[in-house]
Amino acid sequence: MTSSFSLYAPRDSGYHRLHPLTKLAISGAILIGGLGLGGTWPAFAVFVLIVVPLALWSRALRSLLRAIWPIALPFAISLFLIRGFIWPGGTPILTLGPVSLKAEGIEFALAAVGRIVAMVSAFLLLSLTTPPDALMLALTERGFPPMIAYIVLTTIQIVPRFQARAATILDAQRSRGLETEGSLPRRLRALLPLVVPLILSSIVDIEERAIALEARAFSRVGVKTSLLTLNDTSIQRVARWLILAVPLILIALRFALEIAA
Amino acid sequence: MISVRDLTYAYPLTPTAALWNVTFDVPAGQFCALVGANQSGKSTLCYALSGFIPHFYHGTLSGEVSVAGLDVPATPLAQLAGTVGLVFQNPFNQITGARMTVRGEAAFGLENMGVPRSEMLVRADETLALVGLSGLADRSPMQLSGGQQQRLALASMIVMRPQVLILDEPTSQLDPIGTKEVFAALARLVASGGATVILVEHKLEWVAEFADRVIALAGGQLVADGPPREVLNAPEVVASGVGQTRYARAAALARARGLVQPDAALPVTLNQASEFFAPRSLDEYIP
Amino acid sequence: MNISLDGVSFAYPSGVMALLEVSLEIASGEAVAIIGENGAGKTTLARHLNGLLKPATGGVAIGEWDTRRVSVAKLAARVGYVFQNPDDQLFERTVAAEVGFGPRNLGIPLADAAHAVHNALRRVGLAEQADQHPYDLHISQRKLVALAAALAMNTPIVVLDEPTTGQDAGGVELVGQIVDELKAERRTVIAITHDIDFCAEHFERVVVMAEGRILADGPAARTLSQVEALAQAEVEPPQMIRLARALGMDHAPLTVEEFVDDFAARSAARSESGPKVHGLSGSTPNDSSVSRADSTSGPE
Repeated sequence: MTSSFSLYAPRDSGYHRLHPLTKLAISGAILIGGLGLGGTWPAFAVFVLIVVPLALWSRALRSLLRAIWPIALPFAISLFLIRGFIWPGGTPILTLGPVSLKAEGIEFALAAVGRIVAMVSAFLLLSLTTPPDALMLALTERGFPPMIAYIVLTTIQIVPRFQARAATILDAQRSRGLETEGSLPRRLRALLPLVVPLILSSIVDIEERAIALEARAFSRVGVKTSLLTLNDTSIQRVARWLILAVPLILIALRFALEIAA
Repeated sequence: MISVRDLTYAYPLTPTAALWNVTFDVPAGQFCALVGANQSGKSTLCYALSGFIPHFYHGTLSGEVSVAGLDVPATPLAQLAGTVGLVFQNPFNQITGARMTVRGEAAFGLENMGVPRSEMLVRADETLALVGLSGLADRSPMQLSGGQQQRLALASMIVMRPQVLILDEPTSQLDPIGTKEVFAALARLVASGGATVILVEHKLEWVAEFADRVIALAGGQLVADGPPREVLNAPEVVASGVGQTRYARAAALARARGLVQPDAALPVTLNQASEFFAPRSLDEYIP
Repeated sequence: MNISLDGVSFAYPSGVMALLEVSLEIASGEAVAIIGENGAGKTTLARHLNGLLKPATGGVAIGEWDTRRVSVAKLAARVGYVFQNPDDQLFERTVAAEVGFGPRNLGIPLADAAHAVHNALRRVGLAEQADQHPYDLHISQRKLVALAAALAMNTPIVVLDEPTTGQDAGGVELVGQIVDELKAERRTVIAITHDIDFCAEHFERVVVMAEGRILADGPAARTLSQVEALAQAEVEPPQMIRLARALGMDHAPLTVEEFVDDFAARSAARSESGPKVHGLSGSTPNDSSVSRADSTSGPE
């Protein structure tokens, strides 16, 4: 059967056992640090010094690298080529006939790739180690709207089915003689018989799902309990704020130094 | 347990009534089947008993619907949810997707009702055992087959311990195995004195096998109400598009051809048919 | 137009082997039902018939066309495939436009297409609803629209995926009638169905599948009596065959009429072999002393 969109990979690791909000804070810190520290190398430093050790701890390093690679590499190649070669003025470090590779362009590309790596690894570190329902529970416990949490969880699990249905609709219409290859006008004409059934049948589904949800007392007012339990410690509760504070302080320092210089 | 008086209902913007002066009572613990041709009002009646009519579908409703002492049209859905359970055709649309495991999905209703965690665990595991899904409790609900998902939907309702369980063609989209699994789970529920059951079904042989009583609808009106063997063979029911079990058809044909007694009651199950057609010993016939 | 599957094997991307060296020949005009539990490979096999799936090994031929060399859209001129869920295809604003979609795609001239649409709608009993929006109809009627949409394409081969699910007694009878009409028109009809009684009553040939293989293939009466094959495929025999077996009759009646005929023949045989008794062999008993304890009704 179709799997959900969740990237979660269960492992027996201390990192996995941390409270979801702690992991959220760590990823938040990586994101803030990676994006906010500026320059060329800090983002990579964050990756090497923070993300990699944490990924090792959570035994998710291989999955992390495998997921980052197909995202970062295309960006890196296009950024290096475009920015490297197309930079007005600048310091050429390599000349190939009429074009030359500029140092500033390379620096720019490096900084951009660093930020991308930081962003993606922050997200992946969280997704690989935290089941979506645990994260949603952690948030709703602190006042996050249950309806939004429900939508997030349902979407993660239902979208693959949506994709499967789109494939079935394509099959059904092809079976009625619909040509989906060939000229652009033909392919555009093929859109309606593919999109409309998807939308209409989804509307029917939504109504039934709403009924099913009501039948489970979802709109009941009152205290809700949870089957899932989350382990939290007072250390983590304090640490979360400290973890978030670190990159903020570093960024503040950086600006202070730049202003002073 | 269920009391319906002169229930008349029309969907919004529809001049014709989907239900017209429907009146019946269902005592607690009864397994009552609801039959009728498509669009005869069966699903509408299911919604009216569970409160989705009028709270979800609005429209115009007159008459009384009372379930477990609650005045359904006057009671908000959130309050009815724990008292009346509803299972319908499409297995997938009843998996809310709100939780990532089968056990979590089953317990979701209990979470919403604020049931303490320890109790939730016990009830969830108990109910999963009842429907035969214990081995899959930690699996993702999305990985289940249609029949398994329908059993999960059933479990998700049963776990809330509703006094009335309404099932609208629960096996329509299932293969014979899935159908058998759902009916087996229902049988276990009824045997354990679990609930009053209203079952809408086209598969007459299952109705004949399980139901204590059959109500037949045609054109939004109640046309027959009684034991399965009686209702499923009533001419007005057969003529209304419900059809007839093949056992009864064979028996009627045999009767018409003078092969059996003209006054013998038509069978609706395999056992009844076996008795009906059984070769008689000579003693019975020698005057 | 013959259909030929020769040593067809197929595996889904997930690695599941759905068909294992399946070979099947269906002659023009045959009516074949494919039965078996979910996952047995029935739908996978059916999807090979119009090219939606291409065999990994072996070949599928529709007439002289090899399905690997012809697009699905082109094969639609020979094989009309009716999907199980009508909502997977409905998109036009009227029933007539919907039913006309197939003929339009096949390049059938407008006048002929309109004629085909009208005929198809008449056959499924929806001629009056031609100008309605398909979603204004009940789901069971939408299923008939999908059926009409395939009928209007006038293909020599028609494949039906679970044509009776969701239908009431009238709907099942209508679908049965259409199958019989297609047979009378010498069109090949292939149906995947869980309704074993529907299968027995309308299909001369039954193919039983389990775990990607064909367990049994032959005349309905014979195949539907093969207890082991059916059990392996997790299928129950039709009600009339079950009843005949319960009564110790060695026939395999496929319809109610056949069962009663068999029963009459057996009763006649008994009365001929034993002393004359009342109430059998066609004579109506009028002796009020002849009574029989009525079986009590109620669930078993």
